[in-house]
Amino acid sequence: MVVGLSAAEKNYIAGGIAVDLRSDGRGRHHFREFSIDTSVVPQANGSARICLGGTDVVASVKAELSTPPSGRPNHGKMEINVECSPTAAPEFEGRGGEELSMDLSRALQRSFLGGASGAGAAIDLASLSIVEGKLCWMLYIDGLVLSSDGNLLDALSIAMKAALSNCGLPKVDIISGTSPEEEPDYELSGNPEEFSRLETSLVPVIVTLTKVGKHYIVDATAEEESQMTAAVSVAVNKKGSVCGLTKRGGTGLDTSVLLDMISVAKRVSQSLLSTVDSEILASETRHNEEL
Amino acid sequence: MDFLSPEGLRLDGRRALELRQLQAEVGVVEKADGSATFEMGNTKVIAVVYGPREVQNRNQQQHDQALVRCEYSMASFSTGDRRRRGKGDRRATELSLVIRQTMEAAILTNLLPRSQIDIFVQVLQADGGTRACCINAATLALADAGIPMRDIIVSCAAGYLNSTPILDLNYLEDSGGGPDLTVALFPKLNKVSLLQMDSKIPIDVFEKVMSLASEGARTVAQFIKETLMENTTQLALAKGPPKF
Repeated sequence: MVVGLSAAEKNYIAGGIAVDLRSDGRGRHHFREFSIDTSVVPQANGSARICLGGTDVVASVKAELSTPPSGRPNHGKMEINVECSPTAAPEFEGRGGEELSMDLSRALQRSFLGGASGAGAAIDLASLSIVEGKLCWMLYIDGLVLSSDGNLLDALSIAMKAALSNCGLPKVDIISGTSPEEEPDYELSGNPEEFSRLETSLVPVIVTLTKVGKHYIVDATAEEESQMTAAVSVAVNKKGSVCGLTKRGGTGLDTSVLLDMISVAKRVSQSLLSTVDSEILASETRHNEEL
Repeated sequence: MDFLSPEGLRLDGRRALELRQLQAEVGVVEKADGSATFEMGNTKVIAVVYGPREVQNRNQQQHDQALVRCEYSMASFSTGDRRRRGKGDRRATELSLVIRQTMEAAILTNLLPRSQIDIFVQVLQADGGTRACCINAATLALADAGIPMRDIIVSCAAGYLNSTPILDLNYLEDSGGGPDLTVALFPKLNKVSLLQMDSKIPIDVFEKVMSLASEGARTVAQFIKETLMENTTQLALAKGPPKF
């Protein structure tokens, strides 16, 4: 994102960060206030929208029936894609947003999808299996950036976590074909009351630490991001395990600084996770009351 | 397929001459110069305007009028079955062009020479009538950006199914095989700016469908005016009482 800043403004940002008082009044390790709204896309199995300051992203989960991945008959599949809409910035017009979209998609895939064996994925892939070796759920997780004011990756991870916990999979009745020789015959339950939820308590959130000058901050705005020398995005789940790591930016980081950043990310993520959980719960309750 | 029950109710419970529920919000993207969401039933579109600003590509600059550009895109989750649409597909290109031409007709481009206005429309949910919804959202976003216009431009679609003219088709009715007519007009000037129809109908029926769509558009115009009025009132209140 191109942010035109004068030398004085740059100084102000760097100086504020140095004394732990940023231009919007936050400390170095404080997130902006955010609100989560779930079930925003009626056609999707699960969806959520998060407004984090001026950053606005939507995530949706669509489930389709598919065949299990080769070599892992008792697993389901997940796919993550991010799109940057030109509504967020005119630079994203045409193919302009593709590079950033790809960058964000890759970072999220690293943190959510686990290794090549499917181990360490955000959702237990075995829970997506329906008939071993024959039938499973394929989850398409799509992120859409509508408005951008920094920290897109963290916002997308929160939106995807919320969308996954909002996701309902319809019940599948297997009529016949559970033995290995037969093709399975199934029926999707038409009853909207019959659905199952995903186990999402261990889905991570990403906390990005942006290094400006000597210090690093969480939840940087677009102005602050323009001043960064390096950034480290750490995906942490509720247990405190690091699920993925991405470093961006040109400058190299000292190993001790890196380890320090990871421990800060772990600490920040725990309070963030509890805020996210309560926001998701609040939104779900709101929707249930409306019905 | 029966699109009208014997009682005269449509698949979604509306009567033949009924619009879907309209909803709009102005100023949804902070960083943009103008933005709005517009909903017609389950169809939801967000439109964002950047400009008037310096022309990005110098050789496109026009010395006597503004350059208007438009890009239409569809979210991959906007349709019932998930589909990844490329930005350059034919439908998107055609729609970008249609929206650009329609909005260009409304903007007083001669007042903003050597500048560029970008309109980005993003479909969040598609349930028929996206064309009309995009134009309505773009009008609101342009008004929010304070860009001078001849008149607001409003749009509505109508069709002809089971020998009955039907207003504001949803996706099921849209794919029902009947004609689909989209009209965009200037309500005050009483002029039509966009008219598109596929399939064929007798000329006398066309007149009925056309006047129904125009009537629908006028209702939308009333709604858009109220939305803008309310938004402006809110802005005025936020600014505080006038100082003398």
